[in-house]
Amino acid sequence: MQGIRVEGLKKCFGARTAVEGLTFDVAPGEVFGLLGPNGAGKTTTVRMLTGLLTPTEGRATICGVELPLRSDDEGVKLRRQVGLLTEQPGLYDRLSARENLEFFMRLNEVDEPKAWKLATSLLERFDLAGREDEPVGGFSKGMRQKLAIVRALVHSPEVVFLDEPTSGLDPQSGRVVRDAIAELAREGRTMVLCSHNLHEVERLCSRVAVIKNRLRTVASLVELRKEGLALDLMVDGDAAAWVPALAKLPFTVGHHVEGSRLRVLLDKEEQSPDVIACVVSAGARVHSAQRAARPLEEAYLELVREDAEAA
Amino acid sequence: MSFRLSRALAVYRKDLLDLRKNRGLLWSMLALPLVIVVTPLGLVMAYVRNPTDPGLKAIALYYDLTVDLTNVARFLIDKVLADWFVIYLVMPVFVPILISSHAVAGEKEKRTLEPLLASPVTPLELVVGKSLASLVPSVLICTLAFVLLCVGVDIVAWPVAKELILPNSMWSFGVFVIAPLFAFFGNGVAVLISARVGDSRLAQQLAGLMVLPLIGLAAGQFGGWLKAGAGYYAIIGGVVLLLDVVIVVAARRLFDRERLMTRWG
Repeated sequence: MQGIRVEGLKKCFGARTAVEGLTFDVAPGEVFGLLGPNGAGKTTTVRMLTGLLTPTEGRATICGVELPLRSDDEGVKLRRQVGLLTEQPGLYDRLSARENLEFFMRLNEVDEPKAWKLATSLLERFDLAGREDEPVGGFSKGMRQKLAIVRALVHSPEVVFLDEPTSGLDPQSGRVVRDAIAELAREGRTMVLCSHNLHEVERLCSRVAVIKNRLRTVASLVELRKEGLALDLMVDGDAAAWVPALAKLPFTVGHHVEGSRLRVLLDKEEQSPDVIACVVSAGARVHSAQRAARPLEEAYLELVREDAEAA
Repeated sequence: MSFRLSRALAVYRKDLLDLRKNRGLLWSMLALPLVIVVTPLGLVMAYVRNPTDPGLKAIALYYDLTVDLTNVARFLIDKVLADWFVIYLVMPVFVPILISSHAVAGEKEKRTLEPLLASPVTPLELVVGKSLASLVPSVLICTLAFVLLCVGVDIVAWPVAKELILPNSMWSFGVFVIAPLFAFFGNGVAVLISARVGDSRLAQQLAGLMVLPLIGLAAGQFGGWLKAGAGYYAIIGGVVLLLDVVIVVAARRLFDRERLMTRWG
C-alpha cells in the first residue's frame, strides 16, 4: 500500500487563491487530521487529492497516481483506490440503502458478492442491518451519515478521506465510527480526517496539518502540544481572582480559567515554581499544581490566530 | 476520453429507478402525451360526427380552394393529422427536458454530485448514462402515444375514411426518425443548460423555451401560411440533426469534472 505525498499544492479560482503551499506526507496505516477554520481550504484540498479539482501548482502522489492527472484513465485508477465521505451524505433519497450501495459498487466495478460481504458487516456494525430495503429519505441524520460512510468504503479503498465523519451521530454511534476508522488504519489504509471536532482528532490522529488558505504547520499531536507547556493550578474559590497576580511575574504567560482551575501557559518548564510562588504570595490557597500537556484546541487556535495577525 | 459502458449503464439504471419512484415527475410526464393524443382525436371526432356540415366546407376551402367538396371531412382529417405532427414533436423535446433537468441539476440540489464525481465514473459516462435515462423513456412514451393515436384515429375516423389512416409514411418517418432527433435535442439542451445554471426548475424553464419554435410553426400551419408534409418535416429534421451535432461538440467541450464540480457542486 502507498500513502499520500503532497508537494507545494496550490489551487486558485480565478484571481482568488483558495489554498497554497501544501506539502505533507501521509503514510499507510496513519490517521492524518486536516484542520482549519471554515473556508480555510480543507474541502478544496480534499477535492484536489481525489482528482475532482486540478491543482493550479504543485504535485501530489496518491496510491502511486500522480496529480495533476494526465488522463481520464489515471483519474479512474485514482478514484478506484480512494473513498470519500463528503460533508453532506449525498444519498439518493428515493432509493433504498441497498440500491444506493449497489449503484456505487457498479460504478467501482467491484466483485459484488465480496463487496456485499463487506457492506453487510459494516451495516451490522453501524446498526443499519435490516434497514437495507427502506428508502433512505426516511433515515435519520445519523443513519444517513453512517450509510454514507459504508458507501465510501464498499470498494475497499486504500486511501479514505472523511469529512466530519461523526457529524450528526449520537455518542454511541460516534464511538463505533471512531473504532471503525482506527481499525481501517490498522489494516494499513491511509485515512485523512477533516474535522472541527478537536477531541475526535486527538483521539484518532497521530499527525495533523493546520490549514488556513496556506499550510500553517504539519506536526504530530505530541509536537503540537509541546510547543507550549501548561501548569494547572487548583485553587480555593474562583480562579479568576488570581489572574491579576500573574502580571507581577517577570515574564509573560497566557492563562485560561475554568471554575477553580487556573491553567497557566508557559514558555519554559523552569517557570513553574515562579508561577506557583506568585499565586501563593497573592493569597491563593493552592490545592494542587500539575503540569499539563497543552490541549490541541489551544495549539490550534494559536496557530490560526497567528495567521490572522500576520495577515 | 475513457469510456466504460458498464458505468454509463449503472448511471442509466440508477436514474431510471429514481424516475420510477418519482410519482410527481411521472404524472407530469404523462400529462402531455395524453393531451397530444386526445386533442386531435376530438377534432377528428367532430369532423366525423357531421361530415356534411357546410361549416366544414368553408374551413376546407380556406385551406385549399381545389378541395374535393364531396368528402371535406376526410380532407380535414388528413389536414389536421399532417399539421398535428409538429405539436406531437413538442413531446419528444419536452419529456427529456423534464427528465434531464431533474436528473442532472437535481444531483447538485441533492448534494449527490460530489460523491458521484469522486467515483470512477467519467464525465462522458455520466452524460451518456443520464441521457439514456432521459431518451429511452421519452422515446417509449412518444411511441406509446403514437400507437394510441393510430388506434384512436382509425377507430374514430372509420365511418368517413373506410380505411386505416394511421400509421402513414409521414408519421412513421416522423415518429421513428425525426422524434428521436428532437428527443436528443431536448435532452442535450437540458443537460447543457443544467450544467450552466445548476438549478432544476430554472433549467426546465430555460430549456422549455425550445418548444417555442415548434409552437410558431404550428401557428403558421393552422393559419394556412405553412403547408405541412413529408418534405417539410424532413427539412425540420435536418435542421435538428445539425443542432444535435452542435450539442455533442459543445457537450464534449463543457463536460469535464472540474467544470461540473465548480458549476454544479
